[in-house]
Amino acid sequence: MANSSGQDIVSDLPQSIIEIILTKLPIRDAVRTSILSSRWRYKWATLTQLVFDDNCVSQFNDRTATENKLVKFITRFLFLHEGPIHKFTLSTYYLQSSPDIDQWLLFLSRKGIKELVLEVGEDEWFRAPSCLFACLKLTSLELLRCELDPPPEFRGFSCLKYLNLQQVLVAPEVIENLISGCPLLESLTLSYFDSLALTVRAPNLKYLKLEGEFKDICLEYTPLLVVISVAMYMTDDKTEHFEQSSGCNFDKFLGGVPCLEKLTGQIYFTKYMSIGYELGKVPLTYDHLKLIQLYQVSFEDMKEILVVLRLILSSPNLQELQISSSSNAIAASEASDLNFWETDCPTGFTLKKLKTVKMSDLSGVPHEMEFLKFLLKNSPVLEVMSILPGIYVSCGKLNVVIELLRFRRASAKAEIIFIRDQM
Amino acid sequence: MAIVRPEMKSYIWLQTTDGSIQQVEEEVAMFCPMICREVLQSGMGSSKNFAIKLPQRVNPAVLGLILEYCRFHQLPGHSNKELKTYDEKFIRLDTKSLCELTSAADSLQLRPLVDLTSRALARIIEGKTPEEIRETFHLPDDLTEEEKLEPLRNMTDDPRIRLLNRLYARKRKELKEREKVKNVEVAEERMDKRSVDDLLSFINGGDGDSKCVRTTKNKKKNRRRKDQPRNTTSNNENENREKDVDSLKSECHNGEIEDVSSSSRASMLQDSSSAAFLSNLDFDDADTDDGLDPALKEEIDREVEDFARRLNSVWPERLQEILSLGQERRLLPISIHGNSSVARYTA
Repeated sequence: MANSSGQDIVSDLPQSIIEIILTKLPIRDAVRTSILSSRWRYKWATLTQLVFDDNCVSQFNDRTATENKLVKFITRFLFLHEGPIHKFTLSTYYLQSSPDIDQWLLFLSRKGIKELVLEVGEDEWFRAPSCLFACLKLTSLELLRCELDPPPEFRGFSCLKYLNLQQVLVAPEVIENLISGCPLLESLTLSYFDSLALTVRAPNLKYLKLEGEFKDICLEYTPLLVVISVAMYMTDDKTEHFEQSSGCNFDKFLGGVPCLEKLTGQIYFTKYMSIGYELGKVPLTYDHLKLIQLYQVSFEDMKEILVVLRLILSSPNLQELQISSSSNAIAASEASDLNFWETDCPTGFTLKKLKTVKMSDLSGVPHEMEFLKFLLKNSPVLEVMSILPGIYVSCGKLNVVIELLRFRRASAKAEIIFIRDQM
Repeated sequence: MAIVRPEMKSYIWLQTTDGSIQQVEEEVAMFCPMICREVLQSGMGSSKNFAIKLPQRVNPAVLGLILEYCRFHQLPGHSNKELKTYDEKFIRLDTKSLCELTSAADSLQLRPLVDLTSRALARIIEGKTPEEIRETFHLPDDLTEEEKLEPLRNMTDDPRIRLLNRLYARKRKELKEREKVKNVEVAEERMDKRSVDDLLSFINGGDGDSKCVRTTKNKKKNRRRKDQPRNTTSNNENENREKDVDSLKSECHNGEIEDVSSSSRASMLQDSSSAAFLSNLDFDDADTDDGLDPALKEEIDREVEDFARRLNSVWPERLQEILSLGQERRLLPISIHGNSSVARYTA
């Protein structure tokens, strides 16, 4: 049904542009272009960026049938593919661990694969075959729900810059060796690891994200680290386990990151950092740290407050501070150590660059208020302090506001914004 | 067209393929990497006589569009939302203009615009049936019916395709009969450049589907086959088959020797699917999913197992055995030097 009145100019576009267009299509549609005309028959076969997911095949109610169709589709695609493959993403819930995936990885290892994302089924975890470790041109690797067991002669990926492991079953020393064996590593994300004790040596690492129940993290050599994001989970008995650990966690974790610009800590992060903490040590100054986000800080624990203070006071160029509190108003109505704020609190510090403070889940406990008072007193350029009270605070809100208004402010421009609950 | 302003504004002169020259504000023109490079490296574009010659794919109409794009995007201070809104409006063009725009932006190396227009074209293609796409882009429907019926091409689940698959299977059978009569090579031969090793390892993964193997005709292998010295045997079997199996074995030898430590090749050959693979190697034409009668197939199976057994045993002793037994062996004896170079000699 060729429309002869128009001219076919799209087929004349250079192959590089056709590939850009085809890459922006779902891969199934890209392959379908092979029956458009004789010139389009092989245009799809040299794509270098492949993204396979469960939308590649129409889905049946029968899971096995869908799985088989997906396997067939991918196998045939790879079989007919020509040229290098730089990027391969497989993201599927239907496919479990399967020898087909091993075959595809073997194939990819010979096609110069550079960026690999594997996210396979939920029930059975995929066991990475040894050919994965032969993909030495990898610059980016992302694995979900895998088992990693590299062969003994594996020395690391010398070109790897980005590593993201989520729910990966792997021995701790393997991770350490993997990190050390990737000298160009710039971004590391480890999620959902249990009881991992990790020492990180990564000379080029700039971005670190950790999420899980970490037993002990030591950033031994990460001089270029710029962004750290940690969500530290802990079960209750682990806390006791922590109490026995040696050394100061703060120093072990943040002792060697002079270039840090952004720090985010969630769940039990401040609690973890408070273990082994001693006031009075000479702290490292974080000259570039501009944004600190600390969530679920318990203002009933003096040690956690000390950690927060140390962070703030070691960051002369801090611009924005976001804190969320996890205090229980009813339990902490009588706080001890309140005179800390008058006697032992370090004085003479001004937060010269602090412009924005956001405090959420405020309960109005004494230490929280003293902390806010401290901030207001020492921030000469503060512009906005926004307070979001916790949802459980019902009657004390007005008292909080009254108290806040009383505090002396070092900055004439400071606005205190009290955000009411959104109903 | 640029308006001459009283204040000193610098302009760049550009010339399109039709010969017309226009001047454009410098900051707008410099947004295109190709123009930027021309100005900086060769100093062109400063006056009408030294106008920068734009690539052939940039005609005046499309140049106008591109300069509009550059004019908007080079201004600082636009929010991301504003840029997005502008882009969405900008690409509301007919497909012909979109194609020309993509082509021109690519030749000027304006990558953001290439991405934008490619995305627009992709959105046009996505979800349409082949007929609709052909009509939109004026593509000729010039695939032969046989080509369209190729099952490996169509990765869709369209029920029409399944019917076409069945028709194709029938047609292939007809073609096969015709070939046997005429003994003419099929015109369509797939170019598969992969080596024997890759194919064997693929097969070892368990997929002995003859359809997949069908297209593994390796041109290189053909040539090698012809170069094999004929070995004299006392066997009265089909000489063709003999030669081919031998050549395959010696090739496997070569493969083996390159990787002396791998006994996996041997196990591969022991795999029954390899028998299927061998049986699929037809000699004269590319279409090979049947054709060998069972007796010959068995013969090949036996030879393969024999060969695999030999490979599995340790090499030096094997060598002694081979040398001592001499002509009875159909294999060409191969000696391995220390660094795995191969010398071949007949017993």
